[in-house]
Amino acid sequence: MMEALGFEFFRNALLAGLLASVICGVIGSLVVVNRIAFLAGGVAHASYGGVGLAFFLGLPVLPVTLGFSTCAALGMAWVTLDARERADTVIGVLWAAGMALGIILLDLTPGYNSDLMSYLFGSILAVPRADLLLMAGLSAVVLALAAAFSRGLLVMSFDVEFARSRGVPVRFLHFLLMGLVAVCVVMVIRVVGLILVMALLTIPPFMAERRARSLAGMMLLSAVLSAVFCVAGLYLSYALDLTSGASIIAVACAGFALSLCLPAGGQGRGSA
Amino acid sequence: MQPLALELNDLWFAYDGARVLDRVSLALPAGEFLAVLGPNGGGKSTLLRLLLGLARPGGGGIRVLGREPGQAGGRIGYLPQHTDVSANFPITVLGAVALGLVRPGFLGLCGLLGPAARRAEGRAALLALERVGLADQAGRRLSDLSGGQRQRAFIARAIVSGPELLLLDEPTASVDGKSRQELMALLAQLNRDMTIVMVSHDMGTVDGCVTSIACVNRGLHYHAESKLTPEIFAEAAGVDLKASCPVELVAHGAVPHRVLLDHDHPDCCGGAHRQADSGRGGGA
Repeated sequence: MMEALGFEFFRNALLAGLLASVICGVIGSLVVVNRIAFLAGGVAHASYGGVGLAFFLGLPVLPVTLGFSTCAALGMAWVTLDARERADTVIGVLWAAGMALGIILLDLTPGYNSDLMSYLFGSILAVPRADLLLMAGLSAVVLALAAAFSRGLLVMSFDVEFARSRGVPVRFLHFLLMGLVAVCVVMVIRVVGLILVMALLTIPPFMAERRARSLAGMMLLSAVLSAVFCVAGLYLSYALDLTSGASIIAVACAGFALSLCLPAGGQGRGSA
Repeated sequence: MQPLALELNDLWFAYDGARVLDRVSLALPAGEFLAVLGPNGGGKSTLLRLLLGLARPGGGGIRVLGREPGQAGGRIGYLPQHTDVSANFPITVLGAVALGLVRPGFLGLCGLLGPAARRAEGRAALLALERVGLADQAGRRLSDLSGGQRQRAFIARAIVSGPELLLLDEPTASVDGKSRQELMALLAQLNRDMTIVMVSHDMGTVDGCVTSIACVNRGLHYHAESKLTPEIFAEAAGVDLKASCPVELVAHGAVPHRVLLDHDHPDCCGGAHRQADSGRGGGA
């Protein structure tokens, strides 16, 4: 491991993994307790349309994907609030439409795009410094918004009907949450890719939920678990010459299986 | 003259053009414990949503504690029907109760409370838990409580802001018989300090525990009685009592003996209702 740390690309990869862990710990916990994993999956896959659009227009990928996936997320938020009856179907359509748009735009883009697969399956070992800075900035924004609205997000996540009855602006919070999910997805694309992003958004929070005594504790524990998976997965990929994103997810899945065998915590005072 | 907790005047509400509530009028004095009974789809929960300001009436007037619905803030406590709260949600009992102190509007969204405000919230939540007999459970995870204890915790959340009016949507629906009786005793105790409006489909549970009964089945009929009579039962269940099989009536909840015994229906069931009746061993 120490040998690997001598390489700048590996240090960048570790930093990217840790940033993604923090953001996935916070947003993933909100995704899990609000039971919107399918929505988050829709946003992740629809964001491929943004990747295609960026390549087609010759613009920087992350900012364009961020704008595209935010629009997709807000559209899905509107559907889930105002057209509940067939919301899952509409999300499925947007999910497929985003991916199809991305592929068609990439077909129409001249030349061979060797970088393309990295957005599907991640390329944490090739994260440039500029992307790291963007990730750090986005992390700061997401954490600041989540902290500022933490009370409202907690009340809504726990009991939306009660929140409405107390005059909490649930609609605003739902759109905010979906916007945060979009930002999180774009950040994590570089680490594990949009196909595998759901694993980081759901596995650590699921494991943490059974042991935490507060939503903040769940977020913290989830971020720590995510960081452990990222570091262990990175080391595994370095040592065995495996794809880094898939290695991280494989470690997370092993942790998930192990956690199912362990008793759920939370009874003791010492839990998070 | 006793002030009015609720004033409904010729109220109506429609979903997709079909009226689920029509010509509803009520003047409920403060201090009452009103049971709102009625068949499924009769408009009971819609009535609660109108009182909370979560739905707008098609017409007519509503005043809740003398104000427009949704304007009374912490003066109203609310216990929703808890079918949608995640069983594993990571929160302590004290934390869940403190959520009842959230302020309306954008000011209430901010999570950055000062230490003094946090301590004050903790004290208020603990007091509410004491009132419902759960103070010793404050530090446990909510998911570790039994169904009856969870309902008590949710009642504590509803009363933590010191409301004058408590609105309850099916509070006894998901608890066992013993917990149901304990909950009703707790509500009777709380009724000394606040008006209670309780929607329920379980008629036997409210029998004798409330001060008045409203039967809601599109319209609303108010009865200043604490006990179910055969007439009230028939109205609330939406059935013709004389033409109904008593065994079927039992499906409407713990039907009191006096309701079942009030009528005889020799043409049905071959006496099976008598077995069901004796098997209940006491009914109300």
